Amino acid sequence: MITLALDIVTTAAILFIVSAGLLIVFGVMKIINFAHASFITVGAYAALVASRLGLPPVLAPALAFLAGGLIGAAAERVVVRRLYGRPLDAILATWGLSIVMGQLVTLAFGREVQFVPAPISGTVMILGEGYSGYRLLMVGAAIAIAVLFTGLLNGTRLGLSTRAVIMNETLAQGLGIDSARVRLITFGIGCGLAAIAGALITPLASVDPNMGLSWLIGAFMLVMISGGSLLTLGLSCFVLGGLQVLASTFISPILGGLTIAVLAAVALRLRPEGFARA
Amino acid sequence: MTPTRSFSNVLAAAACTTLLAAPALAAEPIKIGVPVGLSGANSVVAPSVVQSAQLAVEEINAKGGVLGRQLALEVADDASGAAGAQKAFDSLVFQKKVDVLISMETSAARNAALPIVARGKVPYIYTSFYEGKSCSPFMYVNAWVPEQQVPPIVDYFNKEKGAKKFFLIGSDYAFGRGMLAFTKAYIEKTGGKVVGEEYLPMDGSDWTSIISKLKSAAPDALITSTAGGAPNVTLTKQLRAAGVALPYGNLAVDEGTAKGMGTDAEGIYLSASYVTGIDSAANKSFLDAMQKKFGAELKTPNDLSVPEYEAVYAYKAAAEKASSTDEAKVLKALGEVSVEGPRGKIEMSKQHHAPLTMYLGQVQADGSVKVIKSFLNVDPDAQCPNLKS
Repeated sequence: MITLALDIVTTAAILFIVSAGLLIVFGVMKIINFAHASFITVGAYAALVASRLGLPPVLAPALAFLAGGLIGAAAERVVVRRLYGRPLDAILATWGLSIVMGQLVTLAFGREVQFVPAPISGTVMILGEGYSGYRLLMVGAAIAIAVLFTGLLNGTRLGLSTRAVIMNETLAQGLGIDSARVRLITFGIGCGLAAIAGALITPLASVDPNMGLSWLIGAFMLVMISGGSLLTLGLSCFVLGGLQVLASTFISPILGGLTIAVLAAVALRLRPEGFARA
Repeated sequence: MTPTRSFSNVLAAAACTTLLAAPALAAEPIKIGVPVGLSGANSVVAPSVVQSAQLAVEEINAKGGVLGRQLALEVADDASGAAGAQKAFDSLVFQKKVDVLISMETSAARNAALPIVARGKVPYIYTSFYEGKSCSPFMYVNAWVPEQQVPPIVDYFNKEKGAKKFFLIGSDYAFGRGMLAFTKAYIEKTGGKVVGEEYLPMDGSDWTSIISKLKSAAPDALITSTAGGAPNVTLTKQLRAAGVALPYGNLAVDEGTAKGMGTDAEGIYLSASYVTGIDSAANKSFLDAMQKKFGAELKTPNDLSVPEYEAVYAYKAAAEKASSTDEAKVLKALGEVSVEGPRGKIEMSKQHHAPLTMYLGQVQADGSVKVIKSFLNVDPDAQCPNLKS
């Protein structure tokens, strides 16, 4: 019982960390960044490089954020900027970007599965049951990310400009806000966040050039039903992630993998604009 | 240019090409097709398989090749799955027109490939251990089947660890299901009980709910049979993260993957027909030759790659015995020749399968495998009773 509850909470946390970057990009720019999976992969490989350089494990997410953020900003400037107002073309372009990035990673590191040592190992006793310490850490990381970005959005000047652009971009431009700069920074942060997710999941997954792909569909579905709010994303991750764990545990893990996609399709059928207050 | 002029030019060109081609035909190399999982689940082990093939080809060519012809390798990527295997085999059999196929593949890829092999009538030496009972007049197998690999582990857990309740985890495809079906039957035959049996799709990486079920079933031992490479890594990492410390028999891990996993792999039991520690002259000279050829790029030779090396030599022996590369003659000879390799004397004489010496080992903290017990010439039993040879 305890294990099941912890499974649900930690799965929701991991889904949140992976999807947050995609949501931020979607909320501001109204496009889905299909290169999100490649940025997850970049983050994981950044963690690999960090461990090879002998850096302490806490620095791996920071290195990942730097790598993801810089590459994301460059991608925005070169690829995405030309496609404002053309969301379908942007999807195609970002998908192409992800293929290019995947191949570059393969060229640099090879196709094989790489190994990154886990920063903390072993179990923690929770109410009489031993549970994976690292998975519990993910809950803390998810909360930290949520708090950090809500703070960024509500408590900084950049956050103010970003909220203005989200509400009405033309009006914001009319008030003198440099919306191009906001978009650049947002895209960079979204990709950096994807990279952090990649770095954080390496101890639980294998690091190979295609690792991000299995997360993309789930993240995409969660963002679509969440609309634009981080809070709704958190709730969606909890509900859908929880249902996935329940399906995997009580029916079969194979059907569990389908849960998020099927439920998201149902939810969008019921409420196409997503569940956030518009 | 008038039509007559260009026609005679074409005729002249054709004549020249034929004259030039004639001597080339005599020295045409024998093409060995190697479709292997360069991407996908097998990408971890595929490089070692290719290296084995490359060393065998180089050694044989240095001694004059086979029947006076040099050997050439054609490597193709089957993406470790059925769809990729179809493409790889189609291109090797019908475009590159290889004389023989020698490779290690996932069972999904092998099952998709067999109809193509039969259509193209090309001998196929399958060098991967697998779940058994796959039969084709065109295929020979020089790696182990469950009848050879599973009893050592189950007997050891039963007798030395007193394990009575077993939990089984696998990847959801022919190998995972086939191995665990045999394991379950053998456990029940030897007085044990299977308290749980769970599968995840081959490319799945989230074992959370399965691990939770494992913990709540409280077994005495765990036996797993996932696809080689990435699934092994994710499952072991997540098991260790969840604090699972049961006796853990892994039917599908190889030394190279175990070494890469570091401390997470410590304590895993494996049963294999090859470990680098085999104390024989043939193995030592093999390892020296591999080290010399590949140096720092060497991928640890393992139970999935060494049979590839021996299979190339088996093809050489069969072609020389048949005095031709004609597929019917080679297929007949493959069941009769024997090869002395790093794993000892291998003869694919039992219904297209081979009796093998098996080693029960345990992964140590430094990633090496310590041999606990060895079993000589374990019989594969009746794998293909309907095949005539």
